Amino acid sequence: MKKLLAILLAVLVAGCASVVKVEGEQVLNNRMSVQLPSAWNRIAANQQPYELWTQDGVSIDQLRMWAGVTPGQSLVRVPNTPSGQKPPRVPTFVANMTPDQIVNLFEVMYAVDGSQVRITRVDPAQFAGEKGVRFEFAVTRKSNDLQLKGVGWAAVRNNELFAATFIAPELAFYQRLLPQAEGVVATARIKGA
Amino acid sequence: MALGALGLGSAWAQDLKGALPIPQRFNRPTSETDEGGLWAMMDREETRLRRSPLVVRDAALTGYLRELVCKLVGEHCPDVRVYVVRTPQFNASMAPNGMMQVWSGLLLRVDNEAQLVAILGHEAGHYLERDSLKGLRSAKDKSAAAMVLGMFGLVGAIASLGVVASGYGFSRDQEAQADRIGLQLMQQAGYDGREFPRVWDNLLAELKVTGGDEAAQRSILFATHPAPGNRRDTLRQMAGEGGGRLGTEELERVVAPHRMEWLREEIRRGQYEESLELFNRKLALRADDAQFLYARGEVYRLRDRTEDLQPALDDFQRGAAAERPPPDLFRSLGLLQKRRGDKAAAAAAFQKYLALVPDAGDAGLIKTYLSELQS
Repeated sequence: MKKLLAILLAVLVAGCASVVKVEGEQVLNNRMSVQLPSAWNRIAANQQPYELWTQDGVSIDQLRMWAGVTPGQSLVRVPNTPSGQKPPRVPTFVANMTPDQIVNLFEVMYAVDGSQVRITRVDPAQFAGEKGVRFEFAVTRKSNDLQLKGVGWAAVRNNELFAATFIAPELAFYQRLLPQAEGVVATARIKGA
Repeated sequence: MALGALGLGSAWAQDLKGALPIPQRFNRPTSETDEGGLWAMMDREETRLRRSPLVVRDAALTGYLRELVCKLVGEHCPDVRVYVVRTPQFNASMAPNGMMQVWSGLLLRVDNEAQLVAILGHEAGHYLERDSLKGLRSAKDKSAAAMVLGMFGLVGAIASLGVVASGYGFSRDQEAQADRIGLQLMQQAGYDGREFPRVWDNLLAELKVTGGDEAAQRSILFATHPAPGNRRDTLRQMAGEGGGRLGTEELERVVAPHRMEWLREEIRRGQYEESLELFNRKLALRADDAQFLYARGEVYRLRDRTEDLQPALDDFQRGAAAERPPPDLFRSLGLLQKRRGDKAAAAAAFQKYLALVPDAGDAGLIKTYLSELQS
């Protein structure tokens, strides 16, 4: 795992241009805007269908945001597989999903690397001006034994999914960084139809 | 790796009658040797593992596994330390310093003690043959070395059964030899060797979900010849008519306190077709098990194809009527009935769930559903 982290860090450091400072108003996928109370680091070209932002580095904290996921689209990239082999299932948004089904997508997403995930709270809530769901979860990361806490928000408008999740080590980081993540999420607004 | 247990190579076809000699206990290698360095790395990994929140701290379960390993390895017993690791994939490993890891996904999958000792015996085979040292010495580059070390947890995380399989780092001959030793050890300990090929069959059925009918040939694990059918037949032939101990109840007793949690973790992998293979097999062995009925129904419910709703409902209803249904079953039954538009049945199931688990994490959402159903 240390090796994996080292590679990840090396990739991030080597491509300095791939980490950019973001502040002020940001528009995600042309479909959702957020106002940043403070600056964040955006991982550009993260090769995933979500925006990835961090305060202290992606191995510590991650704010992921999805804007306008349409039915049939997955929340993460489908991994490459050898030819002739079917790729594994990845959590995929489907039309008319209920809040519990949407929460399950994120639960599966965080468990995909063998990590342990436990949903600890689910409540109806507003997100991006829409009726949606807020959920809390705990993750024990398989790769480095780190115990993390997470929170997520999701809402569907016109059969498109809008969502955000924030995750950070339970010890100190989560409590310290959560207000900044909440500060971003509270400003989320859907753009367009 | 345990998955390597299934990569049956040519050595199987050799003289099967003559028992393989078991080496004497190993002395700790001196630190200036390459073997000493390997042990030191494994010691560091073990220090990490000992503190890991993923290790299952259950003295009865760990003691049971250690006893099984000791039955197999005899005088090497004092050198073995067993750790059960909460990870839903099928895997086990034994490092040269005696650190043995058994993943919960393996314990969930094996049907009896005999299948379990087949895998433990195979891992002990690698240990007795000092295969990781040989692997490290023959590794031509760093990535090959990383693969050998990766088997003991030093590298990376695991996405699916197939990915675990591709992480396998021993040679085909080493796997074949470990298989021979594994079968010998399990039979010497009085177990039915015919359970060994069954582990192979069961895992292959899951691998076929993504690998198709050619999974056996395509997977690094199974990429040996002759064809998989012949290999299984060879194994069956080697195992003989024998008979012997199965130990179904003994395994069940130590797994029972953890099984529901491990089932939740299996479902959370989100690989529904692989899980259905597993749960169908388990339910063929014990048709009225409420936990497996819940698990299979839940996979159907989550997959949510039109044709999945009825089998999900059947499983939940049978599970609810069976002995000791898990509380999660009533949550799932409520969600399914709501989906089917049966408001009264959905409300009844949600009420039962909330009565059983009043402080459930998702009580807020379920109560909202309930009031929507009742309005």
